[in-house]
Amino acid sequence: MSEPANKRTPTDFLNSILGQRVFVRLNSGIDYKGLLSCLDGYMNIALEQTEEYVDGELRNRYGDAFIRGNNVLYISAI
Amino acid sequence: MELSVAARAALYNTPQAAMATPQLLPLELIDKCIGSRIWVKMKTEKEFVGKLLGFDDYVNMVLEDVSEFETRGMSKRIASRKQILLNGNNICMLVPGGRGPAVD
Amino acid sequence: MADTAAALTVEEPLDLVRLSLDERIYVKLRGDRELRGRLHAYDQHLNMVLGEVEETITMVDVNDEVQTQSLRSVNRTVPMLFVRGDGVILVSPPSRAA
Repeated sequence: MSEPANKRTPTDFLNSILGQRVFVRLNSGIDYKGLLSCLDGYMNIALEQTEEYVDGELRNRYGDAFIRGNNVLYISAI
Repeated sequence: MELSVAARAALYNTPQAAMATPQLLPLELIDKCIGSRIWVKMKTEKEFVGKLLGFDDYVNMVLEDVSEFETRGMSKRIASRKQILLNGNNICMLVPGGRGPAVD
Repeated sequence: MADTAAALTVEEPLDLVRLSLDERIYVKLRGDRELRGRLHAYDQHLNMVLGEVEETITMVDVNDEVQTQSLRSVNRTVPMLFVRGDGVILVSPPSRAA
């Protein structure tokens, strides 16, 4: 299979956003913003300076947070 | 009508079947979409449209210039994002070149 | 020395949990449940054993007559419990600010 030069795999994407501020949306609709410390193949995520948003409203802050990957809908850099 | 295994094999191994176009595997189809816009429908009432930059064996996808839609009742766009990694776990269907849902 | 440094760094998400062993953590679970307790043990599924646990369950009461909703939370304490990992949404260790 030919690989276009502009191809960007999930691994490429994750490497490019490590250490950046990210937006994480869970399947339940809860959103998190924070600094992406690391993640693994299950999409388990470790965030620093985490803010939790429910219906767009800030509900909680956590110094560090581990998010279990099965709950994750998507991750986006901000 | 009951057919023996041999009879069924004979049916499917007709010259016509052998001459048919080479089979395109599902993920090969998605691979051809890289660089193009794609419409992603989730198992839940949610859809995404964006340019497909890449994907992996679990069909986790990197999308660019993404619109996110909530499709409960009338569809409406609820977010736009530059680039996302979409978890493949809850994807239901992919439509190449998709224009997305008709928006209210 | 290198070992000590490695033991303290976060290289994968589960390291955050490992560093919280014997500390009081916050756990957010499916079904609007929250736990605060001391982390005694965990595994790769995030099954956990917590001690001195305070559980908070949040429920929405709907009043059909006046069409209002109100939140009600119930607290209880449990000396020791096992949490099945598949219900876990988020784990937050105690703040480690210097």
